[in-house]
Amino acid sequence: MALPLPQGLVPSEVAFLCEMELVTVVPRQRLESIELLSGSTPRLRPPHRADLPFWLAILLKKQRRANIVPPAWLHPDSLREIVTYETAIDVKDWAPPPPPPVRADGRGNSTRLNPYEDGVILSPPFLPSCTAAAPAGALPYHWFELAEMLLAHASDDIPSASEVRSLLRDLQEARAAKMRSKVTHPESHGEGVTSLRGVGAMELAESRGFVTGVAEGIRKIGASAETMRREEEEENGQDMDDDLSDDDMGL
Amino acid sequence: MSYYDVDAILTDGEKVPCRFELDVPYLGHLDNSNGLKPGSRLALPLWLAEMFALASAGEDSKPPLTLTLPPCLSEQVQAALKADPRAVALRDQSAYFYGVAVRMLDLFDERELSAILRRTFVVRAADVGLHARKAEESGLGGQGEEFLRGLDEWERRLFRRGHEGVRGAKEWTDNVKKS
Repeated sequence: MALPLPQGLVPSEVAFLCEMELVTVVPRQRLESIELLSGSTPRLRPPHRADLPFWLAILLKKQRRANIVPPAWLHPDSLREIVTYETAIDVKDWAPPPPPPVRADGRGNSTRLNPYEDGVILSPPFLPSCTAAAPAGALPYHWFELAEMLLAHASDDIPSASEVRSLLRDLQEARAAKMRSKVTHPESHGEGVTSLRGVGAMELAESRGFVTGVAEGIRKIGASAETMRREEEEENGQDMDDDLSDDDMGL
Repeated sequence: MSYYDVDAILTDGEKVPCRFELDVPYLGHLDNSNGLKPGSRLALPLWLAEMFALASAGEDSKPPLTLTLPPCLSEQVQAALKADPRAVALRDQSAYFYGVAVRMLDLFDERELSAILRRTFVVRAADVGLHARKAEESGLGGQGEEFLRGLDEWERRLFRRGHEGVRGAKEWTDNVKKS
């Protein structure tokens, strides 16, 4: 029998990974740099903002030693914009993920901002997708977990937290309905291939069981038809070979 | 499918209608007669019927019995599924509807049936997913409950999987608020 553990990550594991994201804090007290496995944190001096790992930011917030600056996409206006996108503009696909950070030069070109060498393509959690510099109007990979944890631990730092909360519920429902309709209309998206671009980590953890279940069911129902089709194809292929050899003989 | 899969074993035990082609003298107790005559009809469990239907004694001898589609896959049920997959209570047809159907598809060359089943599963899966998500909020009732009672074993398993995922995320969200 299979392991009793479910496939993939469970919600608490997803949330644990989310705590690695960088968030921006406004410190209230000085704090020297701390050596962590992921690198050393910046030195905190009160009026200056600094980017810290999310778990450390929550810890400092709980001790009232820092305030968290919520990312721009968590603002009610940005969330409302995304809800409009999800419900009115594109009713099939999810809202696109945030664009990679770019820097514009004076001549109208833009280049990808990349602190590492060229050729390294960054993805979450190494992209600063939840700091104050994150773009508005797009949900990063860990949007749901981060928003929930921020609302739970730092709701006084978020402008109009109750509105944000209700907008998050709307988003969650709208996007879950999309997941269901995508999975259960495999024909409408071309040969059973479905793009999950823009889906968050928690949403994946939530619907993994259902999605794989549906796919497995479809596969089992189609299995005999599939073997038949393969056999036919093989036979046809042989026929074609025969024809070719006949032609060769004729020549 | 695992060897110890209870659902697979129970699917094997589902009865399918068969017609004997041979004279079997000493099995009359199966249909309360003096012996099975060629042409007598009998419902046998799937595992036994399948073995007989595929077996043959010699070069050109017929198999001892012929299989027919079970009543849960009859023309009427197929027509009803074609009309509206959601309106049919699959569990009333057979608790292992899809399991039996897939085994039948292996034995019979029924393209149309395969297409109908596929559509049925997909359309009903959308509803199953919706119910799996809303199960706790709406507290089950009315038409929803009626629908859930009509799910066969495959769909019940799908419901459980979907519900577990939703519940896991919900539990986590509630825990974050508490801590």
